[in-house]
Formats: sequence, C-alpha cells, structure tokens
Amino acid sequence: MGTVLRFVRALGAYGYFVWDCTRFTLRYGARWERVMLETYKVGIRALPILLVMAVFVGTNVAIQGYTAFSTLGAGNMVGMFVSMAGVREICPLLAGVMVAAKTGTEMAAQLAVMRTREQIDALEVMAVNPHAELVAPNFLAVLIALPLLTLIGLAASLAAAYAVAVHQLGVSPGEYSDYVWSNITRLDLLNALTKSVVYAVVISTVSGFFGFFSEKGPEGVGKATNGAVVTMCIVCICATYLLTAVFYG
Amino acid sequence: MVAAFARVANRGAIPPLVYNPPVPPTAPTTPDPLAWLRPVDAFGRFTGRALLAAVREPLFWGEVAYHIRVIGGRCMGPVLITIVPFGMVLGLQGMNIFAMMGAQRLMSGLVTLIIVRELAPVLAAVLTAAQGGSSYAAELGAMRIKEELDATEVMAVDPMAFHVVPRVLAMVVVNPVLTILAILFGVGGGYIVAVVSYDQASGVFMHNMTELIGLYDIAAAVAKATCYGLFLGLLSTFQGFHTTGGAEGVGRAVNNTVVYTIVFLLVFNYAASSLLFGWR
Repeated sequence: MGTVLRFVRALGAYGYFVWDCTRFTLRYGARWERVMLETYKVGIRALPILLVMAVFVGTNVAIQGYTAFSTLGAGNMVGMFVSMAGVREICPLLAGVMVAAKTGTEMAAQLAVMRTREQIDALEVMAVNPHAELVAPNFLAVLIALPLLTLIGLAASLAAAYAVAVHQLGVSPGEYSDYVWSNITRLDLLNALTKSVVYAVVISTVSGFFGFFSEKGPEGVGKATNGAVVTMCIVCICATYLLTAVFYG
Repeated sequence: MVAAFARVANRGAIPPLVYNPPVPPTAPTTPDPLAWLRPVDAFGRFTGRALLAAVREPLFWGEVAYHIRVIGGRCMGPVLITIVPFGMVLGLQGMNIFAMMGAQRLMSGLVTLIIVRELAPVLAAVLTAAQGGSSYAAELGAMRIKEELDATEVMAVDPMAFHVVPRVLAMVVVNPVLTILAILFGVGGGYIVAVVSYDQASGVFMHNMTELIGLYDIAAAVAKATCYGLFLGLLSTFQGFHTTGGAEGVGRAVNNTVVYTIVFLLVFNYAASSLLFGWR
C-alpha cells in the first residue's frame, strides 16, 4: 500500500476515533475523579519543566532581540521584541510542545501498555466504555491545564527576559517594562489562549489515537509513543502558522 | 490422620495457617544524600563506555551507514515540514515590527539571523529528538526487554559497539546536515511571505538576507548542531540501554528521552548563545 494511501487511511481512522470519543463521552460521561487526577498529572507534574523552559526561552529571545535591534541603534526596544515574539509565538508553542513531550507521550505510553496487556479489552468486556473511561479524562485535563500553564509560562518568560535585559544587556528597567506592556494587547492574550486550546485538543486526541491503536508488545509501545510525539510536534507547529495568519495576517 | 488430629487437639490451639517467620533485624537505612546523582553517574559511565567503544576496533561501518540513512530519511520530513511555517511566522511578525519603523527591508536580515542562530539548530534537534531519539530509545528498550542485547553479548559481540556507537555516530552526522537544510527551508518560508504576500522585491530580500549574519554564525550553528547530535544520541541510547520493567519501561524510556533532551537543549542553547553571540 502506498504511503499516501496509508496516510489517508490513518487520517480517516483518526477522524473516526475522535467521533467515537465525542459520541461515547456525551453518552456515558467522564468520571470527575479521573479528570481531576489527570489534571493534577498534567498541570503539576509538567510545571517545573515548563518553568525551566519558559525561563530559558525568555533569556534566548531577549539576547537575540537585543542583537537584532542594536544594529538599528534600538537595542532598548528589546521589550517589544520579547512581547511580540515571546508572547505571541514562542511561549504558547513551547508550552504546547513541552506538554506534548511530557504528558502526551505519557498518556500514549499508558494507553499502549493497557492495549498490550489487554486491559482495554477487559474494560470493554466489563461493559465500561474505554473511550469515555480512558480518553475523555485526558482530553478534559489537558483542556483545563494547558491554558493555565501557558499563562504561567508567559509570566515566567517575561520575568526571565527582564532579568537578562536589565542585568546582562544593560537596558533600563523602565524602558523594558514600558515596551513590554505597551505591546501586549488583549488580542495577544486571546491568541495565546486560543492556540493553547487548539494544542490541547491536538495533544489529547493524537496521543489517545496512537496509544489506543498501538500494536501489542514492547515495540508496539515504543512505536506508538514515538509516532504520537512526532505527530503532535508537527501538527502543533503547523497550527501555529495557521492561527498566527488568522489573528495577525 | 487420627494422629494428626490428636496432635492438634493435644496442643490445645489451632496453629496458624500461614507461618510468618520473625523478620531478622536489619540495620536502619539512612536516606542516600546523593540519590539524585545516581542517574548522572550512570550516564557518565555510559558516555565513557560509548566513546571508548567508538575509538576502538571494531567499528561497524555498515551499521553506521544504515542508521544514517534511516534516521536522516525519517527526520528530514518532520524538520522541513515544521521549519517552513516557522520561517513564514517569523516573516509575518517581522514585517509587522519593521513596518512600524519603515524598515521593511531589514526583515529578511532578522529572519535569517533568528533562523541561523537559534531556530534551525534547536528545531532540528527537537524534531530529531522527537522522531529519531525516541525511536532509538524505543528500539533499544524493546531489545533490552526481549533480552536481545544480552543475546548480542552472549555471541561475543559488544552491544556497545554494535548497537550504541552506530546510532550515536548517525545522530552526530545527521543533525548538522538537517540544520543546514532547515536554514535553507526556513529562509525560504520567510521569502514566500515577503515576496508573495507582502510584495517585497525579491532582490531586496536577497540582498538584506546576509546583512546581519556571516560565515561565523553558520559555523556556530553547525557546531551547536553537532553537540546536540552527540548529546541526543548518547541520551536516547542510554535511556534505551538501561530500560527496566517491561512494556511500561519502554514507554518511560521514550518519555524521558524527549523531555530531558528538550530541557537540555534549551538550557545549553542559552549558554551557547551567550558564549557565541552575547559578548561579541
């Protein structure tokens, strides 16, 4: 079977999987305790890594923005660069990719292990719907946690960029914060939150899809996890472009 | 039979069904203050063994070539698919920024600067980690779980030399090449936005493209990418090589690989950017 045909078939299977999840979740509901447990896993466990990442993103953006603008003699406009590049693009995207890498792979691996051990089949035998029981809590959890994580990441990266700009590059603090605050608008926050919601949908459904339909055995788990993380990264990055074009194009 | 009943009756009490022997007293365990250093220590030892195996005979050139082909082919698609939209986003936002100062011509310089210095090495490495590194961890993890690595050792073939070194070398070779391709395609994305969407003259874009960067930056990008490739190969094979605990263990190895690599990349990238570009 050709690659294109295989891709189209996978896309169809994915669409059908999403439809099944929606249908069964609306019919049977998701258990609230499991949603809370998953939210805790997504939100709290990914938080330290997200903070580390946000801090270093802020520092990188500040350094590069300063380099680019100082050729125009406008090195103190680094605050504007940070707010535009960081808040609009890089922070939401990297929060999404980080959650995809940490939580998405975890969810895919967990589902694949359950498939390997035939626990998903066991659930079905016990008349518990596996879509509503396993995938729906993940979906709701990422949907709750990712926008909040994105906002926290934004704050952390702005603070880190402040530290670098003021203490390493020697921009005056008032100038930095003036450029930052005058360039962040409500549209930027709306854009960041919309992006994080889209990433949340992508992360939870793609990881669920790869885990749910994985092959059995250790290689199956590895392959499912690998495929999930690559697909999530690619789809998130391509979605960024589309959303940016919609919001600012 | 009767004798047994009689014995129980004579004793006057029913013996317990399960006999728990008294636990011999053990020395009280003190918490290990260096517990968090153990993985670092193990990774250091693994790195030493891998590097030693790389400089020693035998080096399996066929395996190296095979892994270069596989990993290059697998990672090229994701890297190129993601860097083009990124270049386009940069073009879009850069156009907005520079339009405020009426200096739209500098946009291509900014796009090229950011792509060459930061984005291409990091994005290529992240995508290679997601695709190649995690598949290495998955492969080696599955081989460890199925005891194929032990089988290799039993057949008097060093698994370090046969399974680990070719993968690490493939990463070291592939990552810089993918970075250079990513630079070309990312700047191409910026070109599409500038020339097609914003009607900038193509010559303006081409001329200003090399305004802010030089050969030094490209060399630095390649050097960074080589370091990332080395680390990526070592970490992913380390995670796979030391997988324990069945099928979940494989999932955990893949997860750890991706997370640790991305965190390392960002931290190291800040240090490298400060060193290479910050104080020049």
